[in-house]
Amino acid sequence: MDITIKSDGLTKDFGTVLAVDDLSFEVGKGQIFGLLGPNGAGKTTTLRMLAGLLKPTAGDAFIGGISMEHSTEEARKKLGFLTGDMDLYRRLKPLELLTYFGRLYEVEENILRDRIAHLAEAFGINEFKNQLCEKLSTGQKQRVSIVRTLVHDPEVVILDEPTTGLDIMSSEFVLQFIKKMAEEEGKTVIFSTHHLDEVERLCDQIAIIDNGKLTFSGTIQDAKKTTEQQHLADAFFSLVNA
Amino acid sequence: MRKKIITTIFKKELLEVIRDKKMLFLVILLPFFMYPVLFTIIGKVGKSQDDKLSKTKVTVLVNPESEGTPIYKELIKMDNISVKSADFNVAMLDTMKSTIGLKIIEPTRDSLHPYQPIAATIFVNNAKDLLQKRGGQIQKVIAQYNQQLLMERLNSKGLTTEFITPVDVKVQDISSTEAKIGKVIGQFLPMVLLLFIFTGSIYIAIDITAGEKERKTLQTLFISPIKTKEIIAGKFLAVFTVGLISAFMNILSLMLAVFIQVKLMGGTGGGGVDMSVLAANINPMGWMFVLLIIFFTTIFIASLVLAVVIIANSYKEAQSYVSPLMMLILIPAMLSQMPGMELNASTAMVPVLNICLAIGSVLSGSYNLALLGLVTFSVLIYALIALYLASRTFNNESIITGQKVSLKKAIGLGK
Repeated sequence: MDITIKSDGLTKDFGTVLAVDDLSFEVGKGQIFGLLGPNGAGKTTTLRMLAGLLKPTAGDAFIGGISMEHSTEEARKKLGFLTGDMDLYRRLKPLELLTYFGRLYEVEENILRDRIAHLAEAFGINEFKNQLCEKLSTGQKQRVSIVRTLVHDPEVVILDEPTTGLDIMSSEFVLQFIKKMAEEEGKTVIFSTHHLDEVERLCDQIAIIDNGKLTFSGTIQDAKKTTEQQHLADAFFSLVNA
Repeated sequence: MRKKIITTIFKKELLEVIRDKKMLFLVILLPFFMYPVLFTIIGKVGKSQDDKLSKTKVTVLVNPESEGTPIYKELIKMDNISVKSADFNVAMLDTMKSTIGLKIIEPTRDSLHPYQPIAATIFVNNAKDLLQKRGGQIQKVIAQYNQQLLMERLNSKGLTTEFITPVDVKVQDISSTEAKIGKVIGQFLPMVLLLFIFTGSIYIAIDITAGEKERKTLQTLFISPIKTKEIIAGKFLAVFTVGLISAFMNILSLMLAVFIQVKLMGGTGGGGVDMSVLAANINPMGWMFVLLIIFFTTIFIASLVLAVVIIANSYKEAQSYVSPLMMLILIPAMLSQMPGMELNASTAMVPVLNICLAIGSVLSGSYNLALLGLVTFSVLIYALIALYLASRTFNNESIITGQKVSLKKAIGLGK
C-alpha cells in the first residue's frame, strides 16, 4: 500500500497543555481516514500540524512522502485543507476567489481555467459564480469552499469537521463529495467528525485519540472486534473511556 | 520571495478595498474634499460672522457728566453704537445684554496742574466677541481724540511730534513670505498628513488582518504553499498603497483648496493665510523633499499598524489599539509645535517628531539638506524595524490560528 499521509510521533505542547502526545499513524493512497475523539482530544491540533498551520513540538508529518517540517511549501502543494472554521472572502466573486487560490498554488493559467470550469460545472457553481461571496447562501458557500480546496488538484484532502453548522442537505452534499473524491479521483481523505454515522458510511480506516494520545488505529471492524461491541458508537465509548 | 505571489496577494487586497465603500470614503473622498470644504466653510462662516458682528448694535452707557464732551459727540456718530446717558455700575452691566459702560471724568485744571488728563474708563466684557470688538472701536475713538489734543498742545508750544519721540523704534521682519506661509502651513500640514496616512493605513490593515481572522479567511492563506514573508509583503504593499493614496489625496486636496481660493474666490482662506502668496511661494524642491519623506513615513506607519493590529482577533479588539497608536503618532507631532522646537541632529532621530519638523522646515524654506537626509535615513530605519516586527508577528502560529497572545510574545520576545 502506498502511504500518502504519515504522522510520525507528532507532539504539540502549548506550555500549559500537552495537546497531542507522540501521535503516529499512516493513511494509504485513496483511503478515507476518520480521526475521532471527544472535544479537546487534539483532533484539530493534529490536523493543523498535518497541514503545516502549527509547528509540532516534536515529530513530523509527511504528505506524499514530503516532510512538512523541512519542505512546508512543497508538502502544502499536495494538500487541500477545509475546516468549518474557514470562510470565503466576502468581497470577491467565486470565480475570482478560485483564480486567486489557483495562482497562490502556482497552477498554470490555462490549466487553472480548465480546472475551475470543470469544478464549477461539477459543483453547480456557474449559476452564482459572478455574485459576491457575501451574497451566497450557506450551502453555496460550502460548495465554493470545497472547490477552493480542490482547485490545485491536491493528492490529499484534510477536512476538519466539515459538516458542522450545515443543514442536512448541505451535509449530505459534503459526504457525497468526500466519497466521490476517494472513489473516482483516488484522493486520500482524512477527516475529523463527531458524527459516527458519517464515519461508518465513509471511512476505510479510523484513529481514535483521547487526551492527545492514540487509543486506537485500524478499521471500523477492528474497533468493534477489539472492544467486542456491535456498534461503532459503543466501541468508541469503550476505547475513549479505556 | 516570489514577485508573482506577492502581486497576486496585493491585487486581491486592493480589489477588496475598491469594493468596500466605507474604505473608499475614508481613503479617497474624505481626504480629497477635506481642505476645499474646510477652507471654504471656514472662510465663508468667518466672513459672515465678522459682517454680523460689525452690524450688530451695542448700547454704550455713558455717565451723565460726560454728555456733550468731544468723545461723547464722536461716539454718537457711530452706526453700530447706541449711546445712552445714565449712571451705571459693573454689576448692572453684567446683567445687561450687549452693553458697554464708559466713564469720562473731566479734570479740574488749574495753573498748578494745567495738563491734568481726562480719565476715560471703558467697562467691557471681553469674553464676548461682539463687546470686545466694539470696546476696541471705542478705544480707537478715544485714542484719536488723545492724538488730536496732543498735537494741539505741541503746536501751542511750537513743537513737533519729534519732541515726544526721542527714540523711534521700528521692527523690520526680514523673513521671506515663503517662510511665513511655510510656518503656518508647516504647523498643521504634517499633523493632518500623518493623520490621513494613519487613517488610510489603519483601516485596511485591520481589515486584512484582524478582519480576516474574524471572517475566518486568514487560515486559508496560511495553508497555501506560500512563505510568511510573501504574505506580509503582499499585505504590506496594500496597506502602504492605500496609506500613500490617502496622503496624496490630502496634498491634492490642499492644492485644490488653494486653487479654489485663488482662482475662484480671489483671496484669503481660513486662518488668515493669503492663498495667492502661498500658491506662488512654495518651492518645488521643497515639495520633492516633502514627497520623499511622505513616502518613507507611509512605509513606517503601514508597517507599524500592520505589526500591531495583527495581534487582534477581531475588528473590535483591533479598534481598541487605534487610539493608543494614534496617540503614539500625535504626541510627537504636537511636540513639533512647541516654541523653540527645531530640526537638528537630535530631533532628526526622534520618530514622527522628525517628520513634522522636516516637513515644516521644507515648507518654511529653511531646510538643511544634511538634516533632511538624516531624517529620511532614520524614518527608513524605523520603517524597517516596524516591518521586521510585523514579519515576526506574522510568523507566530498562535496569531494565525486566532489565539490570544501578548504583544511581547507576538513579536517573539516572550514565551
